[in-house]
Amino acid sequence: MKHISGSISKAALVLLILALWRPASAQDTLRTYGPRFGIDLARFAFILADPSELGAEMSVDFEVLKNLYPVIELGYNSISESEDLFNYAASGIYGRFGADYNLISLKDRSQHHTFTFGARYGISAFTHRAEDIYIQNPYWGDYVLNAYEKDLQGHWVELVAGVKAELVPNLFMGWSLRYKFLLNPDMDPQLLPQLVTGFGTRGQDTSFGISYSIFYRIPLIKK
Amino acid sequence: MMKLSPFFLALMILAWSCAPEELCEEDSISELVVSFKTETSGLLSDTTISGLTIYGIREGQPTWLLYDSVTFAEILLPLDPHHDASNFVFQANGKTDTLGLMHKSEIYLISYACGFGHQFTLDPEMQYGEGMILKDSLINSIVNTTLEDIEAHIWLYF
Repeated sequence: MKHISGSISKAALVLLILALWRPASAQDTLRTYGPRFGIDLARFAFILADPSELGAEMSVDFEVLKNLYPVIELGYNSISESEDLFNYAASGIYGRFGADYNLISLKDRSQHHTFTFGARYGISAFTHRAEDIYIQNPYWGDYVLNAYEKDLQGHWVELVAGVKAELVPNLFMGWSLRYKFLLNPDMDPQLLPQLVTGFGTRGQDTSFGISYSIFYRIPLIKK
Repeated sequence: MMKLSPFFLALMILAWSCAPEELCEEDSISELVVSFKTETSGLLSDTTISGLTIYGIREGQPTWLLYDSVTFAEILLPLDPHHDASNFVFQANGKTDTLGLMHKSEIYLISYACGFGHQFTLDPEMQYGEGMILKDSLINSIVNTTLEDIEAHIWLYF
């Protein structure tokens, strides 16, 4: 029984790969519609560049009107750093909601490459914590506090520009550049967050983001 | 599109390595700025106290010398982060007085390089009364590590 189910799984995998790698037909002029799911590969590169920061992000969009793609992006971020006078950690989830508009007009409707501009509203819920806080004081004696912790919400808006290329039918790769504006920079006046999950780091009111993603569109409708 | 990947990675690592290292250029001690005044016939003016010695009083510990026979029109007093009050003994010209300041405090991040400091909120009621300090005025009740734009937190009248 185990052997049969294993064979079925392998066959399903082969069929899936064949379906993914089937070259687009020259006569195929129908446009494909369906939810397109993506994973941001740049998060893994970020881990290589800065192991103290971890993250994962996925997205889903759908061409609901011609060239208009509503988008939802969901992710997780965490950071853990050791400073000279305290240790800092933050972690939490975030979501971005918005839409992209495709500026490329292709004669072949079956081509789905896009160059988009868009906007997002971002919201995150995260906890940040400083530990082993040490304040030197030669007059009254040094001050030590075990921990300071606070639950926070971040709100921001983003402008996004990006490219998606359809490598094979329904499989896309693309990058996007983002400029972000934090709406509530004073969310914790006592401890400026080192990381607002989904927004960025270092307590800046604006930040720059980059993503490099792979996408798969589930081909639900052809018309 | 695939050819962008190593370039992108290299660019990102380069950007990280170019990030400037933050240096601490600020003190982590919160000091109260005290200006000395005199009032003669309703006329207010700055004054200088000569031969001024100031001690800090720590609960359960020996007093500590902050100023020793100095001549100043303005002094800085570090506030006690361990208690809700800071007490200082003033001595000059054969007179002595004890200044008691009530306050609340909370920690705040100065910067990631400097770490944390304390922000104090002064109570408007100050205690003294042994004949040296005659009157007080609270000018600015918030005391933190920043002294920029702070002319004085309190005035003491002699």
